[in-house]
Amino acid sequence: MLLIPCPNCGERDEGEFNYGGSARVFPPIEKMAPVEDWHRSIHFASHEQGQVHEYWYHHGGCEYWIEIKRNLHNHEIASVKATRSDTDRSGT
Amino acid sequence: MKYSAFSLLRNGFDRDSRWSSILPSVTLKDRYDIIIVGGGAHGLACAHYLARNHGITDVLVLDSAWIGGGNTGRNTAIVRSDYLLEASFKLKNFSLELWKSLSQELNYNVMYSPRGYIDLAHSDGELEHFMCRANAMRLSGARAEILSPQQIESLEPSINLHTKSRFPVSGGLFQPDGGVVRHDAVAWGFARSAGRAGIDIVQNSGVSGFGVRNSRINWVQTVRGKIHCDKVLITAAGASSELARLAGFELPVEMINVQAFVSEPVKPVLDKVINYNAGLAYISQTGKGELVMGGATDGYPSFARRGSFSRIEDTLVRALQIFPFLSNLRLMRHWSGTADIPMDGNAIVGKSPLENLYLNCGWGYAGFKATPAVGWTMAELLATDRLPDLLAPFALDRFKSGALIDDAGIGPYPWLH
Amino acid sequence: MQASRLESGGAIDRSSSIEFFFDGRSLRGYPGDTLASALLANNVSIVARSIKYHRPRGILSAGLEEPNALVACADETGNLIPNLKATEVWLQPGLKAHSQNNWPCLKIDVGALLQLFSRFLSAGFYYKTFMWPISGWPRVYEKLIRQVAGQGRISLAADKKCYDRRQASCDTLVIGAGSQGIVEALAASGRNELVLLVDQDSGVGGSSQWDLQPGDAGNQQQWLKQKLIQLEQASNIRCMTNTLAFGQYDHGLVLVVEQHKSGVHSIYWRIRAKRIVLATGSIEQPLIFPGNDRPGIMLAAATRQYIYRFAVKPGRRAFLAIIDPEDRAATAAALVHAGVEIVGELGEGEVISATTGRYRLKKVYVLSRQGQQKAYQCDLLCVSAGWIRNSDLSPQIGKYRFEDAGNSQGQAHEGGAWSFVDYQNDVQGSDIEIAVHEGFSHVEHTKRYTTVGMGTDQGKTSWYGTTQALADLTGRQFGSISRTTIRPPYSPVSFGALAGAHTDQHMVPVRRSPFHSALEEYSCVFQTSGEWLYSRYFPVADESMTDAVRREVFAVRNAVGCVDMSTLGKVDVKGSDAIRFLSRVYCNDIENIQAGRLRYAVMLREDGMVFDDGTVSCLADNHFLITMTTANSASVWRWLNRLLQVHWPQLDVQLTLVSDHYASLAIAGPNARVLLADMSPDFKCNKGDFPFASVRTGWLDEKVSCRVFSLSYSGESSFEINVPARHAHWLYQRVIELGADYGITPYGLEALDVLRIEKGHISVGAEIDGRTTPQDLGLANMVSIHKDFVGASLLQRPVLKDTNRLQLVGLVPVDDTCDIPTGAQLVDQKWRAGDVMNSIGRMTAAINSPTLGCSIGLALLKCGHHRAWDTLWAASPIENRSTEVRVVDRCFYDPGGSRLRD
Repeated sequence: MLLIPCPNCGERDEGEFNYGGSARVFPPIEKMAPVEDWHRSIHFASHEQGQVHEYWYHHGGCEYWIEIKRNLHNHEIASVKATRSDTDRSGT
Repeated sequence: MKYSAFSLLRNGFDRDSRWSSILPSVTLKDRYDIIIVGGGAHGLACAHYLARNHGITDVLVLDSAWIGGGNTGRNTAIVRSDYLLEASFKLKNFSLELWKSLSQELNYNVMYSPRGYIDLAHSDGELEHFMCRANAMRLSGARAEILSPQQIESLEPSINLHTKSRFPVSGGLFQPDGGVVRHDAVAWGFARSAGRAGIDIVQNSGVSGFGVRNSRINWVQTVRGKIHCDKVLITAAGASSELARLAGFELPVEMINVQAFVSEPVKPVLDKVINYNAGLAYISQTGKGELVMGGATDGYPSFARRGSFSRIEDTLVRALQIFPFLSNLRLMRHWSGTADIPMDGNAIVGKSPLENLYLNCGWGYAGFKATPAVGWTMAELLATDRLPDLLAPFALDRFKSGALIDDAGIGPYPWLH
Repeated sequence: MQASRLESGGAIDRSSSIEFFFDGRSLRGYPGDTLASALLANNVSIVARSIKYHRPRGILSAGLEEPNALVACADETGNLIPNLKATEVWLQPGLKAHSQNNWPCLKIDVGALLQLFSRFLSAGFYYKTFMWPISGWPRVYEKLIRQVAGQGRISLAADKKCYDRRQASCDTLVIGAGSQGIVEALAASGRNELVLLVDQDSGVGGSSQWDLQPGDAGNQQQWLKQKLIQLEQASNIRCMTNTLAFGQYDHGLVLVVEQHKSGVHSIYWRIRAKRIVLATGSIEQPLIFPGNDRPGIMLAAATRQYIYRFAVKPGRRAFLAIIDPEDRAATAAALVHAGVEIVGELGEGEVISATTGRYRLKKVYVLSRQGQQKAYQCDLLCVSAGWIRNSDLSPQIGKYRFEDAGNSQGQAHEGGAWSFVDYQNDVQGSDIEIAVHEGFSHVEHTKRYTTVGMGTDQGKTSWYGTTQALADLTGRQFGSISRTTIRPPYSPVSFGALAGAHTDQHMVPVRRSPFHSALEEYSCVFQTSGEWLYSRYFPVADESMTDAVRREVFAVRNAVGCVDMSTLGKVDVKGSDAIRFLSRVYCNDIENIQAGRLRYAVMLREDGMVFDDGTVSCLADNHFLITMTTANSASVWRWLNRLLQVHWPQLDVQLTLVSDHYASLAIAGPNARVLLADMSPDFKCNKGDFPFASVRTGWLDEKVSCRVFSLSYSGESSFEINVPARHAHWLYQRVIELGADYGITPYGLEALDVLRIEKGHISVGAEIDGRTTPQDLGLANMVSIHKDFVGASLLQRPVLKDTNRLQLVGLVPVDDTCDIPTGAQLVDQKWRAGDVMNSIGRMTAAINSPTLGCSIGLALLKCGHHRAWDTLWAASPIENRSTEVRVVDRCFYDPGGSRLRD
């Protein structure tokens, strides 16, 4: 079982998390982006030589969605960050 | 030499005689009509049917390691066709028809044993869904029944459905033709047959590149050099993504680790193949006596071929609910494989963006049962360039067109399939 | 009398002897014995029959690498536990052990006749035959093979032993408490680390306790004694003996099983360590020669262990075939100590050419380099080809390769009959040869074709010999042949231990609604629904479920009923961007929702398929409460968080999950409104002030805060009353008490389903199956054309707009005395038994409607929205019938919706 380094809670067992797919950007909402954009965004995962950026959700802890960079061959986690920053919430 | 009881006897008496190798030595040519990248059961089956159904033998099968060493050698060897969606059902049911006489066709005992497959439902609502599935199967001419818990217990005396359990079983779907096969033998049987027909099979030769020009593949790069070809089939399961990338396009799949495990071998105790649905656990007993079990995937991608032990625990506690006697048995071995799961959970078979490159991938952890049908239909596609009806639904472009085949209704989240 | 027990010595407790049984025969041993040492002490030489050829087998080793001595032992409740190695079973008073896989008995086993046919039964023979007739394999051959295969027998009786699962963490985990492990542990302890030292043996010290080097015995003992005291004194070292570390996983995780703790049969530990030290020593390898499997042939180190540790005399006359000179000398010294006569030693260039002895070794034949053969009469043959490092627990990074021990001189694979490479699976050198010849020379192929190394000993004493054989046969370098992937567990571990206490009802936790105790008081029959225990129906007197459901439905349609809705997900949404966020998430228009109003809303996945449905209630400016279905509660919560944190972090929105905070009881029926009024809310609840699709917040009876939603799943006037969860019991009783005058009737899941089907409302799992778009479900008018929302784009994909899709319709039987079979498939013609037809759709729900007095159903039908009034057939081959049906609108009851607005 992987140990996932949550930025808030420290290293926690993978059982506390849900995997959420490889990191991706949604096309801008409210812009009626074409089918091709959404199709590319959600239907393709990106693995570059076995290293991925991926999302995990800490359901059994702080409930943050975090993005980690992980090696798929040996499960080494190279970096981690919370996907949101609390200073971002300025409103629109 | 043909395999048979008689030749076994004759060979036994003659101390000096030896059977010939199922993989005759190959002098690699620098050009083939068809190159099949991937020496698992699917690729080898395709080779066999190219020779048998179409008389095409100028074929090269390449594997990066040992044939049958990927998911073919790692799966839990269950065959069945009880799928809800027509596309899934038809291909797998055709496969079941072929399994029935495959040993005889290959002259290799693949040990198809229709022990019977029982899918357990945990509520009346779930049983109603199963009724739907069973009715669909029967309408298509396949055998299926809906059983009550009592009927299941009398069909399979070792199962315990009457003791209070966490997710009580309300009944099940029974496919009498479902059962088990000896997975390794399938790869070896197809390989031997293809080899005898003159097809070249080469191990330890991964593909590291493609020569692409004007949307066509002209040659394939291996450790043994460049090999030219007319057509290429990528049928490499977990390696398919990387190969597609080398050919210049992306596949909508994720590589998810999936595990299975066995107990120590014991005398026969379980006859049927049983599937427990509240969180997934499937169990059967091999001919050698081990109880083999599998369950849900690890739920995240990995190439490491070692899994998270908590999945073993999850599968085990569910198997224990219906087979309490398992508690006195011991875990002998557990292993992993890489399941390439596409965005609707179903395989990607057929043409690719390149004119002469064909795909057979995305089978996830459900590919083994489809082996002969895949081999048959892919051979037809490669030989005639006409897409067989059975394969049409599995097109790569279905994600863009919306023609998804999502048996479980889960959506574009391969780790949940 | 223990005929082969030495008079003194050994780590056994001679003060009390133990009676035990083997195949019914009463024998005696001592505390500290294993079953193996006790059997040897009693001069029992044959202990098992091999799996394929039923050859008599004895005890080869003294540890987990034992391939031969598999027995079944009765546990404390009398169940036989099969496939135990006699070397891993500690002697207990009254232990009942049985040999396996023989008939009628161990000495005279009919299966031994198979040896006569061995030349036809070599590796892979079963792939070459059993193909005729077609049904021969499943009907006859496989059945036969299954009876003969399998080691022990397992009974179907439940396991009554007690297990537990625990966790631990430490700085340094040392696996193996032999001399090396002890040194490592003490060193780590000296660095102030928290240390766990585990060993699968019953004590600490490993082989240094008994493997006495000649002339050095005293120093060794002294050193060990000292170290043990240090271990004892170190407060940061915890020793766990009888603890098998069976696997190493990612990020410092090691899994172990600890046996023989009082009260608990075994404990399965998950240990996280910052640093892991493998001090697991080495495994001695046997020699390969014709007849190398007879009882009386034993590994050299095991011989020494039986002599020194267990005070057993393993034989009367011994021959030594030990490559390493030091091992040879040490073994010779041990044998002398035990009074065993040494009749000879294998010299340079010599090989063993044969052995004899049916139930016990009798003679060993040695061939000299010059070709001369000499026979030695002996009953013990001590063998050793050398040692291989035990690295099975190393993480599988790359392939493990043997270090060439440099001992290949003289011990090349020796052909000849009965030269076993793998004892447990009866794999001979000739089988390896056959495999290589037939193309299975890759070590993974060799393994699968011959089954070498696939037994319960995981090939611990097979791989060296196999690799040697492969090197010889293929001309490859020994060091270039990798082992097959090493897979945990190191040695088999009990399933019971791995499951711990997660059995029966405790497999996963049960979730109960806050009304649970109240429901129990009203004779609720519960249903397991996902993780929840949900109210199913409330039988009165002896009524059947069908009758109860009829009565409950009637009550809701004509009086008033109450149903627990607490399991729905609920999220409180606040923020200046709240409505904007919700507008993006749901496919229907909600931007213009007013405070105090609520709206049914549908949420799509990114790919346009319906994900969930629920309600959006506007509580105040920038303050909303949304609901999700029970089944999707967790995934919707996860999804909303993802959207806000990952994709739209600039939005000013705060979410709070309040699913468990509120108990929710819906009262539904023509009398619902008056009942609500009787509960004394502090807000007006007449039709004008509290219309349908509204929400009010206030107090009930001036005591309990509440929020009431007027919405309807059932189609009657209905109010979902939410109170803080701790007031659930109060609310329920209040409703029952005040509702008595109005005919209040509790109802559950079954009635709820009937009511919603009569209204044509969709349900997750039935119509919302992850493959349907809002248009498929007849909700096209809910899909906004004014705004962008999740799923909008991919909904435009051509196949999703095809009219030939499965579309939701209602069905009624043409003959209203017939009923529509549940789970039926839809076809265009009457189905008769045996017909093969194309399906054009399927039922999603079918009931006998109490309200309408006939059978009705909902179905997904190809092109359904364009087939109104068409007739077709609902076919159920399973029930051997089909019913002619007509396509109608899916809302069967009160299509105008006047009743729910009351």
